[in-house]
Amino acid sequence: MVDAEDMITRIEQKSRKIESLIKQPVEALKTALEGSPPKTKDERCKSANWNVVHRAIMAIKAVDLMFSSLDPEYYDVLMKYLYRGLSTGDRPTCEQCLKIHEKLTQKAGLGCILRALSDTVNTV
Amino acid sequence: MASSVRLYLSCIRNTLEAAMCLQNFPCQEVERHNKPEVEMKTSPELLLNSVVICRNEAEKCLIETSINSLRISLKVKQADELENILTKKFLRFLSMRAEAFQVLRRKPVQGYDISFLITNYHCEEMQKHKLIDFIVQFMEDIDKEISELKLSMNTRGRLVATEFLKQFI
Repeated sequence: MVDAEDMITRIEQKSRKIESLIKQPVEALKTALEGSPPKTKDERCKSANWNVVHRAIMAIKAVDLMFSSLDPEYYDVLMKYLYRGLSTGDRPTCEQCLKIHEKLTQKAGLGCILRALSDTVNTV
Repeated sequence: MASSVRLYLSCIRNTLEAAMCLQNFPCQEVERHNKPEVEMKTSPELLLNSVVICRNEAEKCLIETSINSLRISLKVKQADELENILTKKFLRFLSMRAEAFQVLRRKPVQGYDISFLITNYHCEEMQKHKLIDFIVQFMEDIDKEISELKLSMNTRGRLVATEFLKQFI
């Protein structure tokens, strides 16, 4: 319980930082993806973190440039968030997520997709 | 507009290529039985996360994988009531003849228009990339078919009405 509260405050801090970083979308995305709560089962933490990442994803304009500065360790987490975005069914989110998905698959390969599908422990 | 279809189809193609990793796996509960685990859903360790890929509010695709089978459910775009009826009838026609298609499921999953069930046996008999090509081609063609049906129906309706009403002139 304590961990959940702790995490929610951390996520709120993150979202404030994202707002300020919105001019540099790649930095915003990096901050959003860092410290994604992997092992919580708490739905609120996950949806709070998803809102933050969503904001960062929608702010990205040039998808190609993004990958040159994003570290490979974030590819898997990003793929999981992309699938969460694709399941929402909201048109602008889906268009953006589809664009990023194609580029990310070209960069990271099918293994990234498979890791996102098979990881039942750290869901997003 | 066209590019968003291309992105949607390429996303589905990539996901299918990654998800179609099927192998034979006899049933754990009952001896000598071999069931598609994605349909039974009895053991969570045999199932992968299911993903929904939406293009917009009207079109989506659900992909569920397990160790020996893969289920793909599609929801086709239906703009108005007429397309609704045409889609339902056309896809029901196809589903009734599921034997001929082999990978088609007789009943679509709840909330979707049509479903495919691909098992490890299909992957052994047929080539994986050809199966994926088939599914993606199906998705491209279904939209064309429905609009063709709608067009021909409207044309016929107009012709029939003109002929019928001529007698009252």
